[in-house]
Amino acid sequence: MLTRDYRDIIGGGSLLALGLFAGLYATTEYSVGSVQHMGPGMFPAALGFLLAALGAAIALPALFRPGLLPRPEIRPLVATAASIVLFAATIRTAGLVPAVILLTVTAALGDNKLGWIAIALLSAILSIFAVLIFIVGLDMPLQLFIWPNRWL
Amino acid sequence: MFTQFYDNLSIGLATAFSVSNLFYCFIGVFLGTLVGVLPGVGALAAISLLLPVTFHLDATSAIVMLAGVFYGASYGGSTASILLNLPGTPSAAVACLDGYPMSRQGRAGVALLMTTVASFIGGSIGIVIMMLFSPLIVEYALKFGPAEYFAMMVLGLIAASTISSGSALKGIAMVVFGILLGTAGSDLETGVARFAFNIPELYDGVSLVVVAMGLFGVSEVIASIRTIRRGEVDRKSITFRSMIPTRDDVQRSWKPILRGTGLGSFFGALPGTGGVIASFMAYAIEKKLSKDPSRFGQGAIEGVTAPEAANNAADQTAFIPTLTLGIPGNVVMALMLGALTIHGIVPGPQLMPKHPDIFWGLIMSFWIGNVLLVILNLPLIGLWIRLLVIPYHLMYPAILMFVCIGVYSVNNAPFDVFMVMVFGVLGYAMRLLQFNPAPLLLGFVLGPLMEENLRRTLLISRGDFMIFLERPISATVIAITVGLLIWAAVGSYYARPLKAVAAKAP
Repeated sequence: MLTRDYRDIIGGGSLLALGLFAGLYATTEYSVGSVQHMGPGMFPAALGFLLAALGAAIALPALFRPGLLPRPEIRPLVATAASIVLFAATIRTAGLVPAVILLTVTAALGDNKLGWIAIALLSAILSIFAVLIFIVGLDMPLQLFIWPNRWL
Repeated sequence: MFTQFYDNLSIGLATAFSVSNLFYCFIGVFLGTLVGVLPGVGALAAISLLLPVTFHLDATSAIVMLAGVFYGASYGGSTASILLNLPGTPSAAVACLDGYPMSRQGRAGVALLMTTVASFIGGSIGIVIMMLFSPLIVEYALKFGPAEYFAMMVLGLIAASTISSGSALKGIAMVVFGILLGTAGSDLETGVARFAFNIPELYDGVSLVVVAMGLFGVSEVIASIRTIRRGEVDRKSITFRSMIPTRDDVQRSWKPILRGTGLGSFFGALPGTGGVIASFMAYAIEKKLSKDPSRFGQGAIEGVTAPEAANNAADQTAFIPTLTLGIPGNVVMALMLGALTIHGIVPGPQLMPKHPDIFWGLIMSFWIGNVLLVILNLPLIGLWIRLLVIPYHLMYPAILMFVCIGVYSVNNAPFDVFMVMVFGVLGYAMRLLQFNPAPLLLGFVLGPLMEENLRRTLLISRGDFMIFLERPISATVIAITVGLLIWAAVGSYYARPLKAVAAKAP
């Protein structure tokens, strides 16, 4: 138990910052117009300031009450995020099969239940699934492999 | 009027019985049962995952399939509750209370059969109610102007964010965040690309597929990897013979099923409530009405059947406001609405007169889907039980693969895949900080419509906000919204000591 409710301080504070940013960005970058003829900036600006107010209303009372701070599960978080980014980076440059294998291996590292052989098997099975479902079944324009000489 | 009703029915039947729609209806309820049975994968994640596939289908098939996932998950959700005490879906949580004790007494077969029967009855009555009431609502709603629309959307969003779970203030903040996110991309009137930060990929804003998959698919995976547990099921104990209910079971159940259906139909159609609340209320009411309330929690059959009937009826009537008014009462309905919009169809009162094939075809597909579900859930129960024991560490890489390929395939854009990661991490942070992502998505879907209607209203009224109070329908809706806000504020004030106690507990 902590002396302050950091959970809501962080949550409310982030919304406050985000709201202020959106509100100020919209009022400075886009024309606001009048209430009768709203410009592109009016609605987002109003929402931004409303969000900032709500964020403050969440964060302020939390300063004066005890609370708990949850711990993020770092390993699953990093592994999942990394696996998606690697897929995004390789699908165009290396092709579907390498992208799926990279994704599976990285994602599987988020948990310690699988050994290397199991991970290799799983990534092989998922690559076959991916090819059968998306290329053979749904006929999507994806390339299986892109060989390095194509990059040059 | 009857001839028109008959015409509608025949249009609907012809659409629903076309080969492709039958096929997608089957795929929908099959996948729905699958994700309903598997804890850790919800209907929301499944529908988000399927959104990219619907780009390749025609609008009717798309919506028939997505709807099938939604009500199919409710059927399947109770299976894991009964057998493992792990609810597959939130609305099946109540089924744990008496369903799991029943399976420990060796009566799992009876519980599974009776929930399927209760689901079928609840669902069927819900469909009939939808068929009768929707045309009446549409007739009325065709008179709505932009002011009424804006007011109704505000009511829907406030109801959805305050009634459900958690802090009302946080819910409303999430709605506002969602609407703000929805404003990103090119402005309807001037074409200015808002919040694009000179990134060409953001000129059209963020797509629904990306937001939904990130918030519900990826963040669910991150949160489940370390936490999900799997149980063991004695597969051989569930035979056809074990499913036959006693005369006592049937006698105890039929009235609770009807009462549950009534509750579910009512709450399903209201914004912000729906299956979860209806099923908990149905359970509470049966316990109160029972001559021997001590049986509840010990394997009382009516504690399983009434809530199941309620949540399946609610699933069907939830389509009423979405399809007749274009105002989704919950986040799954917001995804349905998004799927229709992707196909260029604007849900609202115009949907029924303009696209009778979609409207009535969807309703008729509900019948087909419910019959298919009975077949899927009873004779094929063994298959689902086998799936229940698939370990999550083999499943989540596959889920991530479907997310990535699905998102990539929409625009062939690696940037979209990257954005899914951003929203996945955001969704996980929101879970940790106890913000509910559902109101965010609702706001995101309704945001552009709200802005459009607000601008139109104020153009008509020459900038005078009093127009919302001068028009009787919008004034009534605004009054209800204000009432809800006051109720939520008072409620949170009184609930505070309770929440402090609850926070100490774990």
